[in-house]
Amino acid sequence: MPLAYPLPNLSPTTVTNTASLLRIVALALISGAAIASRLFAVINFESIIHEFDPWFNYRATKVLASQGFYEFWNWFDPTAWYPLGRVVGGTIYPGLMVTSGVIYNVLHKLHLPVDIRNICVLLAPGFSAFTAWATYMFTKELKDESAGLLAAAFIGIVPGYISRSVAGSYDNEAIAIFLLMFTFYLWIKALKQGSALFGTLAALFYFYMVAAWGGYAFITNMIPLHALTLMLMGRYTNRLYVAYSSWYAIGTLASMQVPFVGFQPVRTSEHMGALGVFGLLQIVAFVQLIRSHVSSKQFQDLLFVSAIASGVIGALAIVGLTYKGWIAPWTGRFYSLWDTGYAKKYIPIIASVSEHQPTAWPSFFMDLHSLIFLFPAGVVLCFRELRDEHVFVIIYAFVASYFAGVMVRLMLTLTPVVCVAAAIALSTLFDTYIDPLEPETIDKVAAGTEDSNKKAKKEKAAAPSTSTASVSELLARTVSAPSKGKKQRGIFGLDTRFAVIFNALGLLFFFVLHSTWVTSTAYSSPSVVLASHNENGLNLIDDFREAYYWLRQNTPEDAVVMSWWDYGYQIAGMADRTTLVDNNTWNNTHIATVGKAMSSPEEVAYPILRKHDVDYVLVIFGGLIGYSGDDINKFLWMVRIAQGVWPDEIQEPAYFTPSGDYRVDEQASPAMRNSLMYKMSYYRYAELFTGAQAVDRVRGQQMPKVGPKLDYLEEAFTSENWIVRIYQVKKEDPLGRDLKTANAFAEGKKRKRARPPVRRRAAA
Amino acid sequence: MLLPFLLLLALPACILAAKPQNVQERFVNLAQQNDGIIKLDADTFDLLTSPKRNWSTSIQFTALDKRRRCNPCREFEPAWKAVAKAWTAVPKEQRDQHFFATLDFDDGHSVFQKSGTMLQQMVLAYLLPEVDSNCLRLLLVSNMLPCFNPIPTEEAPCRGFDAEPLAEQLSAYTPLPIPYRAPINWALWGSFAVMGLSLILAVRVVAPIFRSRWTWATLVTITSLIMTSGYMFTRIRGMPMTGPNGDWIAQGFQSQYGQETVVVATLYGLLGASFLMLTVVAPRQTSPNRQKIQIYIWTVVIMVLFSVLVSFFRAKNRGYPFKLFI
Repeated sequence: MPLAYPLPNLSPTTVTNTASLLRIVALALISGAAIASRLFAVINFESIIHEFDPWFNYRATKVLASQGFYEFWNWFDPTAWYPLGRVVGGTIYPGLMVTSGVIYNVLHKLHLPVDIRNICVLLAPGFSAFTAWATYMFTKELKDESAGLLAAAFIGIVPGYISRSVAGSYDNEAIAIFLLMFTFYLWIKALKQGSALFGTLAALFYFYMVAAWGGYAFITNMIPLHALTLMLMGRYTNRLYVAYSSWYAIGTLASMQVPFVGFQPVRTSEHMGALGVFGLLQIVAFVQLIRSHVSSKQFQDLLFVSAIASGVIGALAIVGLTYKGWIAPWTGRFYSLWDTGYAKKYIPIIASVSEHQPTAWPSFFMDLHSLIFLFPAGVVLCFRELRDEHVFVIIYAFVASYFAGVMVRLMLTLTPVVCVAAAIALSTLFDTYIDPLEPETIDKVAAGTEDSNKKAKKEKAAAPSTSTASVSELLARTVSAPSKGKKQRGIFGLDTRFAVIFNALGLLFFFVLHSTWVTSTAYSSPSVVLASHNENGLNLIDDFREAYYWLRQNTPEDAVVMSWWDYGYQIAGMADRTTLVDNNTWNNTHIATVGKAMSSPEEVAYPILRKHDVDYVLVIFGGLIGYSGDDINKFLWMVRIAQGVWPDEIQEPAYFTPSGDYRVDEQASPAMRNSLMYKMSYYRYAELFTGAQAVDRVRGQQMPKVGPKLDYLEEAFTSENWIVRIYQVKKEDPLGRDLKTANAFAEGKKRKRARPPVRRRAAA
Repeated sequence: MLLPFLLLLALPACILAAKPQNVQERFVNLAQQNDGIIKLDADTFDLLTSPKRNWSTSIQFTALDKRRRCNPCREFEPAWKAVAKAWTAVPKEQRDQHFFATLDFDDGHSVFQKSGTMLQQMVLAYLLPEVDSNCLRLLLVSNMLPCFNPIPTEEAPCRGFDAEPLAEQLSAYTPLPIPYRAPINWALWGSFAVMGLSLILAVRVVAPIFRSRWTWATLVTITSLIMTSGYMFTRIRGMPMTGPNGDWIAQGFQSQYGQETVVVATLYGLLGASFLMLTVVAPRQTSPNRQKIQIYIWTVVIMVLFSVLVSFFRAKNRGYPFKLFI
């Protein structure tokens, strides 16, 4: 066969050696790129923990690093969920903290005194390099090394994964995606080789995953689904039996060691699929064993029937146990993935979180860019080969694309499979167009002795007169030819090769540009420190830390701060003060109590505040600088959650204007204007404008000239841009009057309210 | 959230007069004749809502005539009918305490005109200034019909056209809870049964199709294409195919209309297919010239479609700095 371009004359060993060296270099560079692209947040801002949940993880890690593992394990935190407290050790996935704790201790043993905060900040970028490597190994099993390298490069910089793993986003997902991919790789390896060793390794990494992230249920159901599909396809093998049994037995026992998981693997519906497939596999294996030893046809039939019967009985037993209450039905979080209206109706606290919203298409394109359309092409190519591991990718693609559509957050589980499938598609394209072999042209083929029936037919149809093959010859080839055709496929000439490869490289280049842009602009904001661009350049808005440090330095150490649950972890982490509710959201009633206090008038809220020993109330207000994630925008959820517990006292419609609008200006409904949240947000806001029309920049509404009046609280602190406002709860009046009358009395005497001058001017 | 107008006149019976007895019987008869729904005009509306009465009533304000082009009105109609019908099953004593009525725009212009000011105080909903003169655009306080989205907005309208939540809501105002039960969907179950049966009967014909990997490939590919184009978003949020003014691109990054799903899924599908054409089909071509043409065609198709996709994305995300040929 002719070559499209000359090849250098090299010995095969040189080629292999150079290729493996290049692979190592490429993987190292990919790891470097993966880590580097996650450092935008550190470079633009500083080495700081981001968002909300990471602050808790950071705080827990600090406990682990300073007091040791056993103290951490038995840690009871009296400063959260005041006055209930929280048993931390038993209610978290400890994998993340233990990982950083181990790294911290190892580094200190090596006399490298690294601050625990820096380990926490840089953990996610570090693990993203491991993820790239795990994806490389996984894809290598599916196709070859070159596809593996492409997949590693994709997952290294794809925004869908970066969004949860930038430096500083110290969350469970930071290490979970590496564990996910590596467990899947070990599973494929175990399945391919029928190796109990790899099955056990898969189980161990599964255990690590269980200890690290609640999303482990995805593995718990993916692997059984794969095993079940293989059995349904008639691909039961002893390798499958060995791999699955070793994974399930060891993995389940190990996962039960995590206190937060406990007996769930045998008591909840999420885990029943794995158990059921395990049972089915035993039955099938037993049948196979008997069949190989027994020859009687009738006996085999009988056995077949009894096997099916025992399978059905097993399934019925699981259903029966569920019905009886021995096995818990699907929990709300999982159930809401199937019945998409469920969460809104029954668990508003889950529905209220923005990352639980369904995904619109721009998010997919933003997070995955061109991979999103290479992905289906890769899935089709998987169907072409359809080995056992390809079945796995197909199921994964199918399941994950549904989940990612239902919940923005689950984009994270879709991203790896998109990278793998897209890498397969693109690497097949490169293989086809770089392959130097050229097929023979038609004329040569027609003259030649070997030919595929297809080509001969085509050629015959095109030019029947020149054909030398007789009909009988053609027929003979039709029967025996199919395997010969492969050699004849390929690309002619160089120009088309260049065009296609140039195009594909351009696509990759665009992907890199896009990923960098998205990472640097959209996913690298710590959300603790905000940035705004104006004509003078970057302007940092550091109100949150300013306010938390104020709390830390100006309030008694045992002061109780009430805020909406979003800020609980941050207050605990940065201000070190006791909070009523935090992002753990385990106690809906407690959250509803806070919601009720926020949405009730002062007189109603005051007893609630006093009963909970609240000293300070913290609200987030974005009206001045247009920060849209503030409490007034979250207010309806507070109302809604409070309404769920006290439907007679709090009613959502009362907070709308009669026309059904959500307004905060003159037309705001009375319930809205009297609510504690409204008063605290807009207290003295109009004064800031010194006579001019006060405007709320988030809602775009004009505020009334006379702002709300507070009787039971007094302003303690307002941050530079008014984002955080802290109020002190007044103590009861010493004369036993209620504070409103006391205030009125004080005012009546003076006739005029004496107000301190406005302390700060707005940074407009 | 633009919905058909459902008004609750759920005033407790407080004033008893001598006359209403006859009137009430008249309404009872009217309701019985029409599956529990009284069809109102301007006069009967006044009678039904007169202050001297000892019944409560729920009134649907609607515009069902085709010329009015009120789609929500027509979508809401079946739910209203079903709930009203369920009410007829209540024992006579309580049933006659509460009426279900419908006032069509074409039957009572005058009521619609005055309702803007008068009804506002009486009920929770009122007539908005007409945005589109053809369709009566009315707005409900969000609690009247449960919405799937927290704050109903133009982009994500309320999806309150189901009978069940409606019955639940109205039960707060009726003397007895409305005994509404969702009807068994015979057509659906029937078609399931027929399909199942025909599959079993035709198992010999169908089995090869089910065993073919390409059947499954089509299924999986199409599903993932649809899912990654935001289909679930439109379903969960109840987004319409196009916007109210004929726009098919929703404003805002986190929003989309049904039409966009179709377009995006097609674009993704075509792009993916072009890559498959280049990888799988083009190498099979045995004539160098034809192969060349084929490869160039698909390369150009990829470039053009990808440019279209990127420009489409720019329309959604204004700050996006990159563009290809378009």
